Amino acid sequence: MNKCLKSINFKDKRILGILVILFISIIVSRFAPDAFVYILGLTYLFIILAVSWDIIVGYAGQINLGHTVFVGIGAYTTALLQVPSRFQGTFFEFLSEMPQIPIFASILFGGIAAGIVGFLIGVITLRLRGWYFALVTAILPFIFIETTIIESEIFGGEEGFSIGLERALAPTSLGKYYIALALMLVSVVIMFTIVNSRVGLKFKTVREDLNLAEAVGINTVNYKVLAFIISSFFAGITGAAIVHYRSTVSPGLYDIPLMLLIILAAVIGGLGTILGPIIGGLIVYLTRYWWLKGAISAFTVAGLPINDDIILYIILIALAILAPEGLWVKVRRFVSET
Amino acid sequence: MVQVALKFPIFFNFLIQWKLKMIELLMRILVYGATLSGIYALIASGFTLIFGVSRIMNFSHGAFFILGAYFGIALIHGIGLNPYLSIIISILIVGLLAAAMYKSIISPVREHEVMVIIVTLAFALIVEQVILLTFGEHGISFPSVIEGVVIVGTVLIPSMRLFVLAVAIIALIMLWTFIGKTRLGKEITAASQDAEAAMLMGLDVDRLLIVTVFISAILAALGGVLYAQVYAANPFMVLKSLIFAFAIVILGGLGSVKGSIIAAFIVGYILTAVIVLYGARWSEFVALFLIIAILVLRPSGLLGVKEQ
Repeated sequence: MNKCLKSINFKDKRILGILVILFISIIVSRFAPDAFVYILGLTYLFIILAVSWDIIVGYAGQINLGHTVFVGIGAYTTALLQVPSRFQGTFFEFLSEMPQIPIFASILFGGIAAGIVGFLIGVITLRLRGWYFALVTAILPFIFIETTIIESEIFGGEEGFSIGLERALAPTSLGKYYIALALMLVSVVIMFTIVNSRVGLKFKTVREDLNLAEAVGINTVNYKVLAFIISSFFAGITGAAIVHYRSTVSPGLYDIPLMLLIILAAVIGGLGTILGPIIGGLIVYLTRYWWLKGAISAFTVAGLPINDDIILYIILIALAILAPEGLWVKVRRFVSET
Repeated sequence: MVQVALKFPIFFNFLIQWKLKMIELLMRILVYGATLSGIYALIASGFTLIFGVSRIMNFSHGAFFILGAYFGIALIHGIGLNPYLSIIISILIVGLLAAAMYKSIISPVREHEVMVIIVTLAFALIVEQVILLTFGEHGISFPSVIEGVVIVGTVLIPSMRLFVLAVAIIALIMLWTFIGKTRLGKEITAASQDAEAAMLMGLDVDRLLIVTVFISAILAALGGVLYAQVYAANPFMVLKSLIFAFAIVILGGLGSVKGSIIAAFIVGYILTAVIVLYGARWSEFVALFLIIAILVLRPSGLLGVKEQ
């Protein structure tokens, strides 16, 4: 089996992989219960988040703790583009007359908005060495949540607002599932191509040795910012798609728990591998929202102060200690040794 | 002046009142700002001390801060200890917890910078969730150790605030003497200037680091206890306190204890002025704005060391 896989070349393997994913996804959607299909669609979108986080952290080596903010920016951009009446009676009254644009255009705008914010933050923080990028991105979620609360007339405060079922990705849940699947495949293939191109090679050089990268003539700041823009853009697109998947938008969805889930997915899969975060994302999201639900009631009966989040955080710490380079990498090494 | 006053009595009256109001406002900013700054100096100096010695970004520092308050409250309400004793015990518990945490979860992943941030952040979130589940999301205050008010001019100031300020300053002076005067403190300074050289000189850097973590956690826990005396402790402070600590250490220069103490008072006063004049909801924006401004104007901070 292994020999057979080795004999086909890299490009074929990629296409084979996509075909296998497509085949399994279609089979699952035919036979699994509706609720599972709904969660699985969200899982596909979550995978884009994990992979896009991997570009800035795993490839360019810059620790981004505010990825969910870019998801949120994409989400609110598309939600407000679709429901411009939210602006009525506020300072931004003039925006309430915006013409209605197609859903997919506004999803794209969500990505662009996130990319622009990523560019602005990146230009200021990534030209410095050291920890400034991590510190600034770490406080972004607080700023984001606070903004949605202060401007609650527009953003709907902590509850958020509904964009209406008629603006969903597709009228049926199966349709939404397939669109999420398509979006994931397209995004992952684009990101995969980027990191395996010369640009991706330069990202890795920047990660491995800044001085060396500069010595061989790479403008490290530009490449760090570029990686951040790409990462933020896909986060924004995904955030926008999630809004049209769920038909609502609220700041709680883009808070730190989601960030930790993304980190967990990337850590399980292994940073800087693209494929790792895909598998990690699949495992983590399904575990969190399909299997773990209710599994912890045993603990609460025992009177221990434990909830699903705590279990996830403990798993994360344990994984980080046991397999800091990624569980998937470890498994693969184990398989190739035996 | 008198003639003017007689001609426009209402206007003059308004002027006096306005002046009194301004004095009161200034006094309030002065005192409240000093209290807040003192507390934040305790958090930030510990954070920057750990960073200086080990280049570890300790995202669980806010957890030590707020755990100091919650352990103290639990000791008072749980087993009816007297407030002073419970403050001391809770601070020590937090110090030991921090040392144990360093040994068990940070130390194994020290080579992986990303993982250090991830495990400390995850630890902080566990603390936040456990507090949330045991105490609820509402703020809890520490029973005041000192009652009463002090009257300065026309302004009433709770003596608690002055006490908090005094304790914070004493703790900072003790930290300062410890670092500058004792052998252990000098070893820590040496390790923070050049860990490798210190190791070659025969210093046990790993042991020094545990001591540093212990001391930093104690400072943070003391800050938490003091914070809960004046304000209310709530579980979300685990991460929120970090926002301001970041602004302070970036302004002071990462790794510089002196810089972070000075910066704590600058940030504390700016923060208090904004809160008193415009409301608390803008405080996060102040922190972000300050950080961005520093990074644009003077990235190495007031007294920072340049990153390699």
